Amino acid sequence: MSERRADYLPEHIRESLIHDPRVAEQDLKVDVKEHRVLLGGNVATPQLRETITDVARELLPGYEIVNETTVVPATEPDGEEPVT
Amino acid sequence: MIRIAAVGDLHYGAGSQDILRPSLQHLPDRADLLLLAGDLTRCGGTEEVRVLADDLRGLSIPMVAVLGNHDYHADRQEEVRRVLEDIGVTVLEGEAVTLDIDGARIGIAGTKGFGGGFRGAHASDFGEPEMKAFVAHTKMLSDQLERALTDLEADLRIALLHYSPIETTLEGERLEIYPFLGSYLLAEAVDNAGADLILHGHAHHGTEKGRTPAGIPVRNVAQPVIRHAYNVYTLDARRQVMAAAGGVS
Repeated sequence: MSERRADYLPEHIRESLIHDPRVAEQDLKVDVKEHRVLLGGNVATPQLRETITDVARELLPGYEIVNETTVVPATEPDGEEPVT
Repeated sequence: MIRIAAVGDLHYGAGSQDILRPSLQHLPDRADLLLLAGDLTRCGGTEEVRVLADDLRGLSIPMVAVLGNHDYHADRQEEVRRVLEDIGVTVLEGEAVTLDIDGARIGIAGTKGFGGGFRGAHASDFGEPEMKAFVAHTKMLSDQLERALTDLEADLRIALLHYSPIETTLEGERLEIYPFLGSYLLAEAVDNAGADLILHGHAHHGTEKGRTPAGIPVRNVAQPVIRHAYNVYTLDARRQVMAAAGGVS
């Protein structure tokens, strides 16, 4: 396979993260600058956040992985909303 | 008052154990029922939904769910459904259920829904077979939803969806993906049949609150949007009945 153009690299990484069953996240933002990969978006657990870094590292060995994803809190709500 | 706890897009999988469990301990004191708005798993695996089932098992309030697109990914949606049903979750796919809660009949019609877009920019079942199939799926599910809601005899009626029926609760998402996040046909179905509340998920970057063109309240309960284990909405069943009879303006 010919080497892929760098312009399309972020989208290929995003697709790979969606289809990797360890991740399967459709809402990740991926940006690649030089040899640096920036990952953003929401994730459900700290473990998934770490997995995303590991998978990105597998996909792009030699790149610096900057994982700026946020773990979404799952605490009890403070109150309730009357709906009318 | 009927207290409805709702959440969608839990995306359970390996490592999700106990995400919800600590917050669910007090749920029976805070809500009369729990509604799950789809994308309960990461990839639609039965091993994933079993992790969620372990967290939900034994919860003493009624639980009703629809599936989401992630729950279909492994093509094992029937098994996912059965795992949920085995622990007492009612799973709706174009169907409805009526619950008796404190003497009030709470009707819930549910469907995954699908995409297409919104008024002025909705996809048409025109051209290639793939395009026709895409739009036909949304139309079929919207028709099922309208029938299920219309046939419900209840004091309160709730539409439980995964995909969004309106644009307002998508605000924050990129406009380019709106056609993959919902369809106005779902809103039209509910507006035709009537309901007191619509709940949906799917749009992780959207906003929580909106209304259909007919004024029915819509809440996007995707977990990344509500940023809690669930939200609780209260509806006055008695007031809704009086309003339906013309007693409340």
